[in-house]
Amino acid sequence: MLYYVFTLVFFLFDYFILAMGLNIQYGATGILNFAYIGFVAVGAYMTGVAGMPSNITGQHYILGLGLPFPLNTLFGGLSAMAMAVIVALITLRRLRTDYLAIVLISLSLVLYDFCNNFVPLFNGADGLYNVPAPLTKALGLNVNSFIVVFACVTGVVALILWFVMARVTNAPLGRSLRAIRDDSTVAGALGKDVFRMQLKSMLIGSFYAGIGGGLLIQFGGSFNPTAWLPGETFVVFAVLIVGGAGNNIGMFVGALLVETLLIHLPAFLPEIPGHPGLIEYIDSALVGIVLMVMLWTRPQGIVPERVRRAVTFGVPDRPEIDARELGSAEVLGAPVAAATEGAK
Amino acid sequence: MPALRTEAVTAGYGRSPIIHDISVTAELRSVTTIIGPNGAGKSTFAKTLVGILKPMSGRIFVGDTETTKLPGHEIPRRGLVYVPQNDNVFKRMSVRENLEVGGFVSKADPSERIDELFQIFPDLAKAKDKKAGFLSGGQQNLLAIARALMAKPTVIVLDEPTAGLSPAYTSVVWEQIERISQLDTAALVVEQNVERALKHSNYVHIFVAGRSHVHGPAEEIAALDLPSIFLGRSVADQPA
Repeated sequence: MLYYVFTLVFFLFDYFILAMGLNIQYGATGILNFAYIGFVAVGAYMTGVAGMPSNITGQHYILGLGLPFPLNTLFGGLSAMAMAVIVALITLRRLRTDYLAIVLISLSLVLYDFCNNFVPLFNGADGLYNVPAPLTKALGLNVNSFIVVFACVTGVVALILWFVMARVTNAPLGRSLRAIRDDSTVAGALGKDVFRMQLKSMLIGSFYAGIGGGLLIQFGGSFNPTAWLPGETFVVFAVLIVGGAGNNIGMFVGALLVETLLIHLPAFLPEIPGHPGLIEYIDSALVGIVLMVMLWTRPQGIVPERVRRAVTFGVPDRPEIDARELGSAEVLGAPVAAATEGAK
Repeated sequence: MPALRTEAVTAGYGRSPIIHDISVTAELRSVTTIIGPNGAGKSTFAKTLVGILKPMSGRIFVGDTETTKLPGHEIPRRGLVYVPQNDNVFKRMSVRENLEVGGFVSKADPSERIDELFQIFPDLAKAKDKKAGFLSGGQQNLLAIARALMAKPTVIVLDEPTAGLSPAYTSVVWEQIERISQLDTAALVVEQNVERALKHSNYVHIFVAGRSHVHGPAEEIAALDLPSIFLGRSVADQPA
């Protein structure tokens, strides 16, 4: 029972991390990154090869650095960021909205085919396996206690990343990203370097994707191309849409409902009599139905993006200002009464 | 020295020029307006000034700084800001956040400037925590103008700031434009409403088929047979 519960807890926090990464790209900046799962995969593979020793027989892979946790995970996150630089240089300068999305999903497919068929990179279609489970030797963990401990570690990582993301999205950087999301042309005309801002968003989001992927491969001990079919991107999008794009708390709610309750919980339910294996396939249908219902009835998500009430700058925080009260005031060298005359 | 000067600017989309050899100046403390029929290239010219489109030939100066080849996001730092036509606010952000975004190019704390602008635009002060998308069309236009003023520009380019507004709000917006122009700013306005433009402007250009067909002080332009000019007749063809 403990195994089941903490497996769900792991996926809750891991998808919370993944959704926060996609949220800054799509929810805050408006980048429709349909290649997101590719960044998760890069993070997973690179964490794997950074943590695995170079002498495992029967597998072909690069590096094999034998780095301990959390350095290998950090390496995975940074690798996903490096990938983001390349992708951003190819796509963000010239493409927007649906064209950007089409190119990104195409890039994801190219990356998928490359990793699937080029064996020396990440062991091809077999993928990486026997990835060392972190902390087991240091803490003397067995298979079951590892799941409990690593789910808790993932929770701590998620909380740290949530704290950082909250700081980023509430900072002037977050405001600039939201301005670009709403209208990149206007934002550019107001002095924002749109490409640089979008690149920052891609880098931050990809780091989160890489960390999430890194935790995933260490939790399961393996990662292969079936784990990151391009359709997996849409599961993260479902988390984001159900939770509420633009709101980090919404990402937690989305991860809880979509990833934990709809996708992973049914796998632990008893079989339906007379329909063996049916329940395994029911999750995708459930996600699709929930997604459609949400988009029809509550497109802003369960926890919508909040309007940020910034600190009051000098102006009294009163609900209304009667223009007549300002009648004799001189503002910027001209009487306000003249300015407000037309409004009366 | 004029606050804004263009020398024979030709620009357009792709390889097709839309405007040809446009030379315009805008002086501080004055309103310069560009009027003309649909498709005359007025908005194309505005987009060229602010770097959204790059000129195929010609030069653009803000004060004594040439901005012709500068990327669009550098131009506000040289003192020229742009208020686009329609959909010109960040709709999912609050009024105050919109203003803060406008203050991005200024390194100073935006609080004082927001304070000043809320007193110039009391309607915005009332709605400071509302999402900008919930404002009326006129209020959105005023917010876009106020946001542009956050940067304390020397030139403000407004693309049809009264499009779709009621006559009452059209008056409010034009009065604000006149006031803004008195604050050591040059206002360059693209406008469809000829009567309003002539009433509130100091200098007027009439664009026809991508060229500055006629230009002069507003009162002189008002004396011309504008309908025939809009249809492409030259000033020389005007009745005495």
